[in-house]
Amino acid sequence: MDQFERSKHIVFFNRVLQILPNRYSSLDSNRMTIAFFSLSALDILDALHTIDNTNHIIEWIYSLQVLPDKSGGNRNRCGFRGGSYNGVITQPGDTFTDHDVEHDYGHIAMTYTGLASLLILGDDLSRVDRKACLEHVRALQLDNGSFKTTIADGGESDMRFVYCACSISVMLNDFSAVDQDAACAFIQKSLCYDGGFGQGPDEESHGGSTFCACAALQLMGRLNQVLSADVIEKLQYWCLHRQNMGFHGRAHKDDDSCYSFWLGATLKILDSFELIDFERNRDFVLSTQDAVVGGFAKWPQINPDALHSYMGMCGLALMGDFNLLPINPALNITQRAVHHMKQIHKEWEKEKLSYVNIENKETVQNINKSEPTPNTFNYKTVIIAFMIGLGPALLPWCYRMIFNRGSS
Amino acid sequence: MSDDERGYVLYRCRPEWSDINPIPQEEGPTSVVQIAYSEKFKDVYDYFRAILAKGEKSERALELTARAISFNPANYTVWQFRREILRALDKDVAEEMKYLSMIITEQQKNYQVWHHRRALIEGSKDASQELKFTSKIINHDQKNYHAWQHRQWVIKEFNQWENELEYVDRLLTIDLRNNSAWNQRYFVIKHTTGFTDEVLNNEIEYTMNKIDKAFHNESAWNYLRGILQDRGLNWSEHVKTRVDLWRNENIKSSQFLAFVLSMIEEELKTGDCENVEEKICEAEELCEQLCKVDTVRRKYWSFVVQRLQKHLQ
Repeated sequence: MDQFERSKHIVFFNRVLQILPNRYSSLDSNRMTIAFFSLSALDILDALHTIDNTNHIIEWIYSLQVLPDKSGGNRNRCGFRGGSYNGVITQPGDTFTDHDVEHDYGHIAMTYTGLASLLILGDDLSRVDRKACLEHVRALQLDNGSFKTTIADGGESDMRFVYCACSISVMLNDFSAVDQDAACAFIQKSLCYDGGFGQGPDEESHGGSTFCACAALQLMGRLNQVLSADVIEKLQYWCLHRQNMGFHGRAHKDDDSCYSFWLGATLKILDSFELIDFERNRDFVLSTQDAVVGGFAKWPQINPDALHSYMGMCGLALMGDFNLLPINPALNITQRAVHHMKQIHKEWEKEKLSYVNIENKETVQNINKSEPTPNTFNYKTVIIAFMIGLGPALLPWCYRMIFNRGSS
Repeated sequence: MSDDERGYVLYRCRPEWSDINPIPQEEGPTSVVQIAYSEKFKDVYDYFRAILAKGEKSERALELTARAISFNPANYTVWQFRREILRALDKDVAEEMKYLSMIITEQQKNYQVWHHRRALIEGSKDASQELKFTSKIINHDQKNYHAWQHRQWVIKEFNQWENELEYVDRLLTIDLRNNSAWNQRYFVIKHTTGFTDEVLNNEIEYTMNKIDKAFHNESAWNYLRGILQDRGLNWSEHVKTRVDLWRNENIKSSQFLAFVLSMIEEELKTGDCENVEEKICEAEELCEQLCKVDTVRRKYWSFVVQRLQKHLQ
């Protein structure tokens, strides 16, 4: 068995976070996803402390948040960008954009990976415009229940983005933007005759879309509601048959390191992970390791890339190998990051409860400072204005009453 | 349009672009996952940012988007803006399709190029070339998911079912392990004749003949299981006869043994057998055999035994 090159992997992911050579220009529009792979990988390696400056990364992520304009009418264009290639970035401290930029809009996968990255870095999401992110997700759901990527003219729609929508909803602790019945109907229709899930109805069953479908159901808390015991049995059978040495995504395709995560995580969700052959899976993933530069490749003997490096490592983490931190199979972040997320949710709950408690007026004033409500009726201002207006009229009356002078 | 074309002139050196102020990429106070863009890349995108900000939808803008795409064909904003320009200039779709076909041939697994193709066809309603085009891509890569996805969409949207079963059959003759083709077979039948008894019997015959040629072909076995799942694996006498024949021939393929096991499990579940204990023994024996011939899944086969025993308690 090859040795796990821990320190090389730490160097690899740190390098990806810093700079990539020109031949990676085709990643320019999804740098956010690449950042996520690196951050989550370093988290799994318990090596976030090796990152030079995590605050810089947090700032960069927020610079890619698309903010609504002052009226808030364009929240459906919000969310996060994949990179700064379109000429717009958000400055630190901004809560609105002050100009209308037609071609500036969020992408559902970038919103998902942006939020996940913030959680991994320990950020409290206080600068996330949650309402806008949810409006953006809501606007992307289609009649058939699936989700498209951007508001512009849509982009492709498939199971990947159903998963993104559900992940975003879990991270923001708010499922109001997702029509869950419609999403589940889409997932159900995408069940293939052979027991796996395709990217959409009638499409070939595939390891990636099977993960997205099962994880989305798990995140919605509807796995056993939507999938009968019989369906789960067939799904388990299909998933387990995707293992050769490592895993592959479709029958008769070659093993590929990333499927050790896609199928591994699905089997975890189905409570069947213990049934795989751990040793062969481990051996395969390690055979794709690059012992010189770190990282993992899709197949043995080819160059590593960020996605396969991350997914390959997740595949090992699912088995609890090499002191890698445990990951949450549905959310695809460490359990540690999930714990941090839950703490944030507790704080949000506290804020909501204090708002309900009207005796604690100071707390009411502190609620959501970042979200002004321009149309709120401010009763205090009105009373004061009334008093100011009435004062001069009352003054002579008060004088007469007090000093008992005759009528004016 | 490669990066090292001879005679390539940067946009900032082109007189016909002198009216435009290029916009460099801003990163804000910090930058993460930076890319060491080439000078040509930076130059093109500086001008793309300027055109985007200006909202210019001209011929030169169209050409610029093509150049931007050549450097990063995954940039969804560039593709989207290109679509807007095409609409604004009322460009000939056939010409765009020619350009797009060339790009797809180079970038067969890119999501944005296939989405662009679909968007164009949604507008033009002309899908006359699509079966031919997707066949070409599939010929090059039998399992290109995007090509199959696009093909299915065209067939559904434009009612082009007629020759598809024949096409599938041709592909399965070339490679009976082509899982995408098996999936397409199910797709066509489901949406045309449906799996009537007559059709189902034909499909059973078809599939078992393919199995006969390659017992370990998972795709064929999955198809057989799939088409029988509504009526049950034990529904067809023909299947039962053939299975018995193969058992007598001592076929050791794990796919075959797993199928026999599933047939027995089904009988036990539906309560459709008299000799329950005998059946359980048979099932346990099969699981034992499977543990030996399908060692990767030995834990699963042991689990199946337990599941059987639990179910009967």
